[in-house]
Amino acid sequence: MNPHLEPFAEILDEAVLHRRAVPRLTGTAELDVPSAYEVQRMVIERRLARGESLLGVKMGFTSRAKMVQMGVDDVIWGLLTDAMLIESQVDTAGLIHPRIEPEIAFLLERPVRTPADAVAAVGGIAVGYEVLDSRYEGFSFALPDVIADNASASGFGLGPWHTPRNVGNVGMLLEIDGRPVASGSSAAILGDPTRSLIAAARLAAAAGIELQPGWVILAGAATAAVPLPAGAHVRVSAAGLGHAEVMTR
Amino acid sequence: MTEKHQAAASRLLEAYASGRPCEPVRDLIDGVDDAYSVQNLITERWLSQGRRLTGRKIGLTSAAVQRQFGVDSPDFGALFAEMAVPDGEEIPAGAVLQPRVEAEVVLVLERDLTHERHTVADVIRATAFALPAIEIVGSRIRGWDITLTDTVADNASAGMYVLGNRPVPLRDVDLRMAGMVIERRGEQVSTGIGAACLGHPLHAAVWLADTLSRLGHPLRAGDIVLTGALGPVVPVEPGDVLEARIDGLGDVRTAFAACEAPDLEEEA
Repeated sequence: MNPHLEPFAEILDEAVLHRRAVPRLTGTAELDVPSAYEVQRMVIERRLARGESLLGVKMGFTSRAKMVQMGVDDVIWGLLTDAMLIESQVDTAGLIHPRIEPEIAFLLERPVRTPADAVAAVGGIAVGYEVLDSRYEGFSFALPDVIADNASASGFGLGPWHTPRNVGNVGMLLEIDGRPVASGSSAAILGDPTRSLIAAARLAAAAGIELQPGWVILAGAATAAVPLPAGAHVRVSAAGLGHAEVMTR
Repeated sequence: MTEKHQAAASRLLEAYASGRPCEPVRDLIDGVDDAYSVQNLITERWLSQGRRLTGRKIGLTSAAVQRQFGVDSPDFGALFAEMAVPDGEEIPAGAVLQPRVEAEVVLVLERDLTHERHTVADVIRATAFALPAIEIVGSRIRGWDITLTDTVADNASAGMYVLGNRPVPLRDVDLRMAGMVIERRGEQVSTGIGAACLGHPLHAAVWLADTLSRLGHPLRAGDIVLTGALGPVVPVEPGDVLEARIDGLGDVRTAFAACEAPDLEEEA
């Protein structure tokens, strides 16, 4: 770890704690992708030091459109902690400018040692949602910024686990107060969310992190993220997987 | 007025005949009803040439496209047997002007739908089975420079269609939550869901049944209904091979010949 990166981690961690957007790091500093992942790890280490524990991995830039928009040809990833798990309510007053998107989630029942191992390690599949809350002003960032910011991860929720099945092309719907606001197919996630799971295993292996039994892999979104309003009921559904819902305050 | 309609129909038919897109026809048309009159002139012409009407297509079924055209209802066009292409067969260059592709649910009817107003139950009872389909839309109008009246007059921008080969009863598929993906060489070029078509493909079919019944030429047993796109339309290039998959319905393919017709290249 490069100690000179620690101030970046502090800026991002404080942004979460004080609910205050900050300017993008790349506006004033040189930051490459490997250093950005180091910053991400430092931010997570600060959370672990406060008693949080790792619960899994989230994948980002899993749609073709997003990769083109960001000018990248690979996915990015972030880490999930137990404090990010949303049971049924989320208080938007504690967030900067939250957005929500429907996701496919995998539950690991065995450790993943190699990418070839990943699919066989899955014990459950669910529909879920991710609450994104970039710590940067205007949700505006370059690639190293968003990686350092833990891929904009803020919170996530899960529907009921189902036995592993083909989820390559299931319809997904995001409703706010009963009205559909976004819809798509899980095929928007790298063509099949399973590919995102395998990419998670590859990136974890490269970073020296072993994906653990009980961890959740959020494979990516089937639609663009939409702003998460206060005082709303949000429901995400996926064909054959039921739904997950959250109330916001 | 009728002279103007004839002129609009002639302009569009000339584009078909020459393989060269024409100027918009909106200058010759006053409103949507007139646009359907123009469409009808072309339909009648083709019928008089012995072509067989096989059903209808529904267009403008997504909220995004309706916003784009400033409308709050879909439109329809006529489908003929000559427009059908077998699954995977190559479409010759120039067969559809300015082609684009979308994936749709097709309903094949086994009963007439002649009521003034239909319910979803009427449509379910009238449907023998569903099929996955690719619609190759096209525009006879240069550069797709179309308004609502242009596309309605131009047969709702219909081109050709490819039907899947495995019939699925409606009871066996959740059309609202069915995922859709179109791939080109393994890359996703469009994704969507049944609900993107007016909330449910059957809702689009109800609208069509009501509309055609009011116009005096209702849907009949044996008709096919292309219910509308489940996701964004895909522009195609010569040589493209595209596969569409609709969850629960199966998959279907279309291929485009590698070379444009030479006179079309000159045009561009």
